Amino acid sequence: MIALVKAAVVSVAAVSAHGHQHGLRHTHLKVLTAGLKTLEIPPDYSDVVLPEKPKLKFMNKVPNLKKVKKEMKRLRDIQGPARAANTFTSGQYAIVAMGGGYIHWGHLEMMRLTINRKMDSRTTFARWRINAPYKPITRKGLGQRMGGGKGAIDRYVTPIRFGRLIVEVGGKVELGEVEHILIEVAKKLPFPAKVMSRASLEAFQQRQADMEENNQNPWTYKRIAQGNMLGIRKVLSPFDLIHHGRFTGKFHIPGRV
Amino acid sequence: MAATLCGKLLPQKGWLPVTQSVRHGSKAVTRHKKPIHILKKKLVAVTQYIPPKPTPPPGAYPCQTAVVQEQESPLMRLLKRDVEEVFRDCKMVGVAQNNSSRSDDMMMLRNRFHKHGIKVKFFPNQVMRSFLSESIYGNMTPLFIGPTVLFVSKEPKVKEMLATLRVSPQMVLLGACVDNTLLSAQGVASYARLPSVAVVQGELVGGLSAPASHTGSLLQRHPARLTALLQQYVAQRAKAEEAT
Repeated sequence: MIALVKAAVVSVAAVSAHGHQHGLRHTHLKVLTAGLKTLEIPPDYSDVVLPEKPKLKFMNKVPNLKKVKKEMKRLRDIQGPARAANTFTSGQYAIVAMGGGYIHWGHLEMMRLTINRKMDSRTTFARWRINAPYKPITRKGLGQRMGGGKGAIDRYVTPIRFGRLIVEVGGKVELGEVEHILIEVAKKLPFPAKVMSRASLEAFQQRQADMEENNQNPWTYKRIAQGNMLGIRKVLSPFDLIHHGRFTGKFHIPGRV
Repeated sequence: MAATLCGKLLPQKGWLPVTQSVRHGSKAVTRHKKPIHILKKKLVAVTQYIPPKPTPPPGAYPCQTAVVQEQESPLMRLLKRDVEEVFRDCKMVGVAQNNSSRSDDMMMLRNRFHKHGIKVKFFPNQVMRSFLSESIYGNMTPLFIGPTVLFVSKEPKVKEMLATLRVSPQMVLLGACVDNTLLSAQGVASYARLPSVAVVQGELVGGLSAPASHTGSLLQRHPARLTALLQQYVAQRAKAEEAT
């Protein structure tokens, strides 16, 4: 009984003794280090609207035509820079073609399946920026000799020029979250391709314009070709007058101004 | 092509070219990169992009304009307010370097300080520097490099602070601001050795009242001593007058 009272008194005394140190109790186990950490504010996605069907839609192998017609090769649809579909519309990140080429249904299926499988449809959406294959490519049978008319239509393709957007991805995501998916797809395309965001595409286009503006070399390809200086047009193609040495065939030559 | 040429009316003095080269070989767009004519290669080499002269790197020369104040985050403003409060309320603000103290060392230190009413404060150096540059304590800025701790108290308890810091080896006192006076580490030590205000006041009073008390003690003694002293004084004065 007396022991109990003693214990109670001791505990009360202890509590009252520690009472004045209650201010220390919160901080005694923390050792603060120097430095002020400034955290980045996470991006605000309140104005992003996700469409109803976020995934890439299926593209037909063959266009829906009543009458199929064979077409000439017209390789000039690969040549030079893209004039259409070279800017963003709805998405934030895109695969941009860095060369010319033909995309066929196999490539489109690969892109569609990979992107649809790997992206999170609750936060991201993807859009095609190219048409379904519409250009017929003919091929003669194996081992056939020259002559005997044009071959039969083998497949349909979509021609792509340099600078065209292939697939656009957007939504409540940052570049780092979708970059690996898009790079995986971009590597498998028949032309070199890069993953770009809105800002980086603008910077890319701006860099070319800046280069043209602040070039210290008084001699430019355009000037010499247009003036036919030294009769250089003997070795130049008519396309060099238009593309000013930046493109040869379907290839883009970087660093040319 | 021949048909179109023949179709045109040839002028009298005109002439047909003797040879017509028909382009052959690969088309304009090929899967491979076509071999480039040597003259075209020369053209490409001549018309390369020459960038403008590079500017000196950003840290090479001291900037002409004043340093732009960085954007203050709300957290920084909050911490600055706390620092301002500390400097306003506390008479003593000591700065020490905190070399890897563990949590139990910190606990003991805080406990010992708490008995004398000294608090231990942590503030980021960035916040301290921006506060000090705007206040009158600007000369304290060089102290805040590396991991620093502030020991603050309302009354200047320098002796107790030094005694506690002597026990903990991790803390190295760098300087202090006591009563709006900046002191170095040696200055703090000499400040601690100063006698207290009461003692100094007593000494001063004693020194001022020394002549009066001396006169009082002279008069209190036997008058014979006083007369003897006065006679001696007169004799000395006469000797001095004879000498001059």
